Amino acid sequence: MAWITKPSATTKVEKRPEPYLTASMKDELTRTYLPRYETKHAALLPALHMIQHEYGWVPQQAMLEVAEFLSLPPSEVIDTASFYEEYWLKPKGKHLISVCRSIACEFCGHEAITQAVKDRLGIDVGETTDDGMFTLIELECLGSCGTAPVALMNEELLECLTPQAVVKAIDEIYAGGGKKHSHGH
Amino acid sequence: MQFAPNGLTTSTPSGKVNPNLAALGGPALTKRIPCWPYADPAGRHVVSYDEYVRTGGYQGLRKALSMKPDAVTEEVKKSVLRGRGGAGFPCGLKWTFLPKLAVDEQGNEQDPGQRYLAINADESEPGTFKDRLLMDFDPHLVLEGIAIACYACRIKTAFIFIRGEYHHQAHVLEEAIKEAYANGVFGPKGLLGGAATGRGGTFAVDCHVHRGAGAYICGEETALLEGLEGKRGWPRIKPPFPAIKGLFGKPTIINNVETVAHLPSIIEQGAEWFTKQGVVSSLGGNNQPSHGTKLMGVSGHVNRPGVFECELGIPLRTLVEELCGGIRGGRKFKGAIAGGISMGVLGPDQYDAPMDFDIGRKFGVLGLGTACPTVFDDQTDMVSVARNITRFFKHESCGQCTPCREGSGWLYQIMCRIEQGEARTKDLDLALEIATSMGSMPGTTICGLADGNNWAVRTIMQKYRSEFEAKVKPTFVPVKVSVGAR
Repeated sequence: MAWITKPSATTKVEKRPEPYLTASMKDELTRTYLPRYETKHAALLPALHMIQHEYGWVPQQAMLEVAEFLSLPPSEVIDTASFYEEYWLKPKGKHLISVCRSIACEFCGHEAITQAVKDRLGIDVGETTDDGMFTLIELECLGSCGTAPVALMNEELLECLTPQAVVKAIDEIYAGGGKKHSHGH
Repeated sequence: MQFAPNGLTTSTPSGKVNPNLAALGGPALTKRIPCWPYADPAGRHVVSYDEYVRTGGYQGLRKALSMKPDAVTEEVKKSVLRGRGGAGFPCGLKWTFLPKLAVDEQGNEQDPGQRYLAINADESEPGTFKDRLLMDFDPHLVLEGIAIACYACRIKTAFIFIRGEYHHQAHVLEEAIKEAYANGVFGPKGLLGGAATGRGGTFAVDCHVHRGAGAYICGEETALLEGLEGKRGWPRIKPPFPAIKGLFGKPTIINNVETVAHLPSIIEQGAEWFTKQGVVSSLGGNNQPSHGTKLMGVSGHVNRPGVFECELGIPLRTLVEELCGGIRGGRKFKGAIAGGISMGVLGPDQYDAPMDFDIGRKFGVLGLGTACPTVFDDQTDMVSVARNITRFFKHESCGQCTPCREGSGWLYQIMCRIEQGEARTKDLDLALEIATSMGSMPGTTICGLADGNNWAVRTIMQKYRSEFEAKVKPTFVPVKVSVGAR
């Protein structure tokens, strides 16, 4: 929904002293990504992926830092970042559960999966738990219709899901076995 | 990555399936990936470089390098390999749209300058999950195809644009690319470490993975280029076509993952081998044939969903009954999405439709698409199907063209109203009118997303009209008017 304008006149950029775009990220961008492309602009998606992967969302300050590093106007960075769904412009929970709601999953029972997550965590779709551990969203096709219903737990795909299986995956993270899941490591 | 056998049974499929293919040496794309009906999918694993080479890998590239680039293009043209991404445009013909290179008196070709190959791995249309199989388990097949395409088109840099949600697949590809560089397939020394070629063995290719970030529209070829350039995925107005002015303004070829995966076997075994598979067009005239095999991913209400490699032209009924073990619970076939939801639906009387590129003209759908049918049993509410599909298009419309941006939202609202029983008969015609005016090839928008939305809605409403009518209230509402004294 990139065409919906935002009340930019009242926007206040929250700043923290240490940069989001760290020296090692800049180094990786310079060594690995910038040589691949003809323009610096083209390294924007990889740069935003780094931020998203590291912090779980893309803060405004980080966008400004990326803009400066890639010599782009900040508006270009915000334009791109706000267009793509994978970049979170607001903080989310530590773990993201994305339940697929597209055609094969809906008709193979995605609703029961979402309901099981809602009941287990006490949140609605689009909400984050009070302890900041989980955010639940529904999104369109994850490209695994043959094993519907599916969901992404951070970056790991859960296939042929049942309500019990998704609750078990949540319980495992709460039990501390979920370290490997955090931000998809 | 574990393969999840969803309702997998261990019965052996009947020998009736693909006898021709078996005689021609078995499947080409899935020869290293165990797939029904040739092997049990439980034995799947990522094929490493060593295993790939041991099983005859990179022989197609080796043979291509011993040929002139134009001869490679000619061979692909002769095979009539049609694009596997949905539109079915002949791959070899697409390559010839690149600017011609002048040849000097000594017979040396002019330097082509920078050109790009963009591999479309942004597989995000609901129902479609075929490229995932190749990237999950046999990434080197894709890389070999990329190297052949680059050699034939004199392209020095290839990008694989993979959708953001394919985290695992991007990782597998990146590891495979590392292996390929380490073994000299790509890199500064030249293809296959500078193996002797007609051009002096100095043709070097670079290959990179570029991850998208969750936008269906980036599967449209020019939106994909915008995504590669770091911009929002807004499709470009054509012309200029990408073969003339594409990525960073340079000539660019965009091919699907499965299309390039066909190249190694076509070069190795020849175009004639390829044209023995599949079917010729039954429409006659200048219609292109549907040669070769195709990955067909069946999902929905079937006993054994999954990806199967079949010759083009296999009837949908054979695909579902023989390979997928029939419809769940022994129920009846009600309909199927032809191949990705934008293609529209095949009705209850079209179960025998052959899956080839003629399907669009013969069965009232947009086309074969990705040949990944989603099958519905007789208990499916087709109004809900329409609602789900319109929600997808509303969500994924990029917002650039008004008919698509507004129309997709209106269609979704109407479908919700119909589903909830609050719509009136006139809403059915309204929905059809909106759908038609959004786009019907050639449409009113820059890209084909609105056309896909139109075809999906229109085919469902036409083929299951009675279900929609049963859910709406009559347009004429009797109003009690008091005309006299009480």
